[in-house]
Amino acid sequence: MISLACRLATVMRTRLTCLLIALLPWSANAQDGRFYVNDKKAPDGRKDLEAIQKSLITVLPKARAATVCIEISEGSGSGVIVSADGLILTAAHVATGVRKKVTVILEDGTKLKAETLGVVADTDAAMIQITEKGSYPFVEIDRAESTRLGDWVFALGHSGGFDKERGSVVRLGRLVRMANSTFQSDCTLIGGDSGGPLFDLRGKLIGIHSRVGQQLQSNMHVPMREFIKSWDGLMKAEFIGEGPFAKKPEKGSGFLGLATETHKEGGLRVMKVGSKSPSEQAGIKEGDILLKLNDTVLAKREQLQDLLKEMAAGDEVKLELLRGGKPQTFTLNLGER
Amino acid sequence: MLPVMAQQSLDSSFRTTGTAVVAAFETQRQVLQTSSAVMLDGRKEIGYGVVISADGYVLTKASEITEVKNLSVTVDQTNYPTARVLLIDATWDVALLKIEASGLIPVVYAETSAIPQGSWVMANGATTRTNRRLLAGIVSAKIREITASGGAALGVTLSTKVKTLEIDEVSEKSGAHEAGLQKGDVVLSIDGKKLKTIEDIGEAIKDRKEGSIVKLTYRRNKEEKTVDVRLTARAEIFTEKMGPGGQMNRNDQMSGEFSNRRSGFPRVMQHDILGSRQVEGGPLLDIDGHCIGMNIARASRAENYAIPVEDLKEIAERMMKQAAGK
Repeated sequence: MISLACRLATVMRTRLTCLLIALLPWSANAQDGRFYVNDKKAPDGRKDLEAIQKSLITVLPKARAATVCIEISEGSGSGVIVSADGLILTAAHVATGVRKKVTVILEDGTKLKAETLGVVADTDAAMIQITEKGSYPFVEIDRAESTRLGDWVFALGHSGGFDKERGSVVRLGRLVRMANSTFQSDCTLIGGDSGGPLFDLRGKLIGIHSRVGQQLQSNMHVPMREFIKSWDGLMKAEFIGEGPFAKKPEKGSGFLGLATETHKEGGLRVMKVGSKSPSEQAGIKEGDILLKLNDTVLAKREQLQDLLKEMAAGDEVKLELLRGGKPQTFTLNLGER
Repeated sequence: MLPVMAQQSLDSSFRTTGTAVVAAFETQRQVLQTSSAVMLDGRKEIGYGVVISADGYVLTKASEITEVKNLSVTVDQTNYPTARVLLIDATWDVALLKIEASGLIPVVYAETSAIPQGSWVMANGATTRTNRRLLAGIVSAKIREITASGGAALGVTLSTKVKTLEIDEVSEKSGAHEAGLQKGDVVLSIDGKKLKTIEDIGEAIKDRKEGSIVKLTYRRNKEEKTVDVRLTARAEIFTEKMGPGGQMNRNDQMSGEFSNRRSGFPRVMQHDILGSRQVEGGPLLDIDGHCIGMNIARASRAENYAIPVEDLKEIAERMMKQAAGK
């Protein structure tokens, strides 16, 4: 029964596809229906080659506009915007951790402040949110898992870092291997491309660049399904999975950059704020009286140290304090020791 | 319908460089067969060239052939054992060669290099003795200048033993060598500005481009002279095996072999053809089989540079004219 149903469906689909091609020779970019060259083992002469070229040229500007460079203290990578408010998909080894401050560079060179959300350390998936308000160019994700082995795909990325004169670099190839958590293509990747997008010829996002092998054909991408699977956790800035693509910060690895003393009238008095420390950047000043850290009342200097020991770099900290007798609240992320 | 799970790896013949895919480009391959030249050192392929005239003028990448003793050239199925290097354009790293041939089919130039990114381009892949192979890719970035890594230089080393700016060594491939500077000459000024220290020299040329001319005054045997010196890209003087810091960076390590000279080009177009270092120098074709450029450097595993057709035509015409005047 099952096999019959399958066969029937196949016949129907083949007919429908033929009809569509006959009616619309350039239906390649239509929302539904696969790009017809993908269903051939290899392009069959100039007409097919031109169809590939035409599809690519048509969808490239939009894909390019959404492709960004991500600058982080350790270097640079790439990413792609997937929503108008600036949600970015990238690789875990580019984001390196949760709640980290990064800079996003758009195609035209505009630099924007952003923060890493969640990472999936064992598949190399990660999210970043642009924190400056705006309406950003974005691409659609292929949620239907319509990609098949041999499909023509293209890669974008800021190879070797941002270069305005050059722009992001586009490469064409085919999907040459598919496994559960990895796509492999023959679009050649290099350092700086990590986290950049892999598209199908309809311009839908199907993967994020992860790593390369020695051979030119060994270029690995994280499939969209790995992002979709962990979407909620990624949005909530969770650290998911264990290595190898990102290392969970250890307890006690975070720091505030403050020296305090116990204040007689309650709380802790800030004696010194470290230069360029998270506290300084958040606006904490000498003389402030710290009252609470994440809702725990602070009474002794040692108490603050004990609390920090249980936290890690990148963790969010809410500080309630008194400045000139007036209560104020500051939120900051612990720095890395 | 369930996706077919059994076949999870694409057979190599269907990959972008595979025979089944390349077969779709047979008409363009025919152009490479007749109008690209294979550069040979004995029996070893070392690069390719662009056939630009029926009577045997060929352009190729200069830095890959200059040190070759037994250079010969194959076009189509004929090997030409005596290839003469007539001229070298150091700025573009292009050499003009002459082989004793007639009735060759020169490339047909494309109208413009300004085709959209994502357009197909083709180049030479590995060859057999009788057949050219083709590799295909796409235009992958904007046309632009690739500034010389390390900047521009005179091409001299100064003596550290004396307090004056005495030349200790003149690099053979430099503008200083062309201007006739020698060991023992003392550099006095550049563009009328008096110089005292090595830093002064650096200051005098730091904003100047490779290829530009400076007026250099020097003293030799108590006599002062002024000569024009062409500033040379550091990349031309020293091979670029190592990055500017003297070490291969991570991207270089993962690239495999790249061109000795891969920077200091006034204008390049970039493509993604998966070739090796040995495929430079040949024509870059568009889908019509027209020559849209000349492959000039494999910069990394993901980046190849070609001289755009407008510049290539100008270089070809200029070098042919110069060669005729010699």
